[in-house]
Amino acid sequence: MEMAAKEIFKEKTNKALGVNPDDARLTLTYFSLAFIVLFIGGTLGLLQGLNRAGLLELPAWFNYYQVLTAHGILLILIFTALFMVGYFYAAMSHTLGGLIPSVRKMGWTALGLMLIGTAMVVITIVMDEATVLYTFYPPMQASPWFYIGLVFIVLGVWAATLGVFTNAAIWKKRNKGQHLPLLSFFAVGAFLLLFLGSIGVTIEVLMLIPWAFGWTETVNVMLSRTLFWSFGHTLVNVWYFTAISAWYVIVPRIIGGRLFSDTLARVVVILLVILNVPGGFHHQIVDPGFTEGLKFMHVFMSLSIAFPSLMTAFAMFAVFERTGRKEGAKGLLGWVKKLPWGDVRFLAPMIAMIAFIPAGAGGIAQTNNQLNQVVHNSLWVTGHFHLTVGTTVVLTFFGIMYWLIPYLTKRELTPKINKLGIIQTITWTVGMLFMSGAMHLVGLLGSPRRTSYTTYGDNATALSWDPYLFFLAIGGTLLFIGVVLMVYIVFHLMFKAPKGNTEFPIAEPEDDASTTPKWTERWGLWVVLAIAVISMGYLVPIVDLVVNAPPGSPPFRTW
Amino acid sequence: MKQAVYGLGLYVFLCLPPVVTLVESIMSFHMHVQMPLLIIVGILMAPFFQKKLSGFFENWNHNGVPGILLFTIILAYWMMPRTMDEALTIHAVEIFKFISLPFLAGVPLRDSWRKLGKMGKNVIYIVFSIMFGFMGWLYVAAPTQLCNNYLIVEQKTLGWGFLAFALCIIIYFIQLLFIDESEYE
Repeated sequence: MEMAAKEIFKEKTNKALGVNPDDARLTLTYFSLAFIVLFIGGTLGLLQGLNRAGLLELPAWFNYYQVLTAHGILLILIFTALFMVGYFYAAMSHTLGGLIPSVRKMGWTALGLMLIGTAMVVITIVMDEATVLYTFYPPMQASPWFYIGLVFIVLGVWAATLGVFTNAAIWKKRNKGQHLPLLSFFAVGAFLLLFLGSIGVTIEVLMLIPWAFGWTETVNVMLSRTLFWSFGHTLVNVWYFTAISAWYVIVPRIIGGRLFSDTLARVVVILLVILNVPGGFHHQIVDPGFTEGLKFMHVFMSLSIAFPSLMTAFAMFAVFERTGRKEGAKGLLGWVKKLPWGDVRFLAPMIAMIAFIPAGAGGIAQTNNQLNQVVHNSLWVTGHFHLTVGTTVVLTFFGIMYWLIPYLTKRELTPKINKLGIIQTITWTVGMLFMSGAMHLVGLLGSPRRTSYTTYGDNATALSWDPYLFFLAIGGTLLFIGVVLMVYIVFHLMFKAPKGNTEFPIAEPEDDASTTPKWTERWGLWVVLAIAVISMGYLVPIVDLVVNAPPGSPPFRTW
Repeated sequence: MKQAVYGLGLYVFLCLPPVVTLVESIMSFHMHVQMPLLIIVGILMAPFFQKKLSGFFENWNHNGVPGILLFTIILAYWMMPRTMDEALTIHAVEIFKFISLPFLAGVPLRDSWRKLGKMGKNVIYIVFSIMFGFMGWLYVAAPTQLCNNYLIVEQKTLGWGFLAFALCIIIYFIQLLFIDESEYE
């Protein structure tokens, strides 16, 4: 009898604290690779920043543009994809009571496909056969093996997506009448968006492969760009999706609060899935070949994405204020003092959220024609990108590491590593302030992006950019220190931290929370609406670009 | 009644001259944005009419069939290339569009939908996916300009839009067949 009671107790604690070792191994492999990629990509970023400021001459066999291509693809595609799959698989494993064996296999298959793809992409870049910048649209033409590598990466992402859908569907069948736990709901939304967003780029790459092999002579450049950006911007929002899942579900628990509203979080997920893909069009707002009326309508499409973001901002600060007031905060802003600023698990995502205020505002500014003309293809865009992805998303990812790795390895976050984490977060923030700030300012002055250091024959305007570029290099150096610290912290938490029990922090709803309506689970409807919105956004330009196609472009090798 | 107010707001927005000019300047926005939004206006306003004219709906749309029939007729009318053309050139037809789509299509659709059985709904899904598929084929394949006011390329775009709509209905219909919503209650 006593034994049985002990067994039940053990089972219960396992359920509360335990993690399936097979699932943990999968996620930890993803994270290890992600942070190795971060280290390589970060090193390339440092080289790029120093070169851009005129402080470092890169050798001819590994020039600025190769570095840029590798930095972009490694960090934008590979690091984020590896992190996202690892994180959401862990989230599903925890909230759905372990991954189904077939889903775990899909996770490993996805990893294999992604690694094959990454190897092909990196090898072609190092061989100087694919210096096409991370946007890889024509007329610059890479080696066909570069594009084939990209296909493998997409196939890997799709395998991971299939795993997420399978696990969620089987859980729903086994738990009739229950809502999918919020974190897994986020996973389904994020992977659905990733899948919808990657359809366009897959079509693009499948057009580029025969062109790169020389089987077709020319390619439709405008169509390729359009298909690329239907993916390009969506991808940004997929990472943002991953980040806000932690803001909604994890951060409130860490600060000792409750979920703001389960329904609101789910509505944000649904809106992000439905509205996102046509938003990519604003990357082409100064492109020729589209009518003004169409561009004007696409401003609405782009701005509509801001709506769920504003809902998120409202919800998060409401949680902070509620939690602070529960702890006795007084006055208008007294709750700010009550937040656990010394806890890196809170500090990192909090700075990420604060950074999203100027980052989001900058993004809104760029959606319209006139302001976009001022900053288009200038370093401003790079600055904006580093603020949204490099700060908002990546700092949240870092924040997740401080509890997720100890949870998976059954270790603990020590006060020492917490302190080091705070130093890392501050180094990262200051580095980004310098680098992204300098990029924003010098971009307004006209300094172009994706350009190696040049004074344009000592032109006075170009020389006036130099002080800003110096700050860019200082920021880049600080960020590199941040990368080194973070990689150390991650591997320390994986292998060296003391054994212990760490919780997977999931916020509970408020006691008087209203029940989540059933319609939030109607994925069939959301998928159909997303397809309808995508076709509303893209049919007009795409049919026009195919029917009235401009003369196709032969390949160009600019390097 | 909140929904009715939102519907009215959307209606007023859609009636604003610059909005009308902008959405009607592109063929597929005319048919696939403005017209569906006008129907949505009716769907949102329906509770107001159902409350005010409950006897009328009870007498004339008891089982939902007359309402859905009216909805289908109005939609079929607005799918004809000529009617869209006339809406741009004849003022009375444009006014008829702004009245017929919300009040003779949107309102009856909402009133009928709940009254229809599963069979009735399935018939509607199938009929409309076939109808949209046919329209898609017509607009994509027609070698001549069907509307005086729009170019052939816009016509083809509209055709692909119809095919996308048909695809959406088919996907939705198929998932309804395979997913039993009541299991998730």
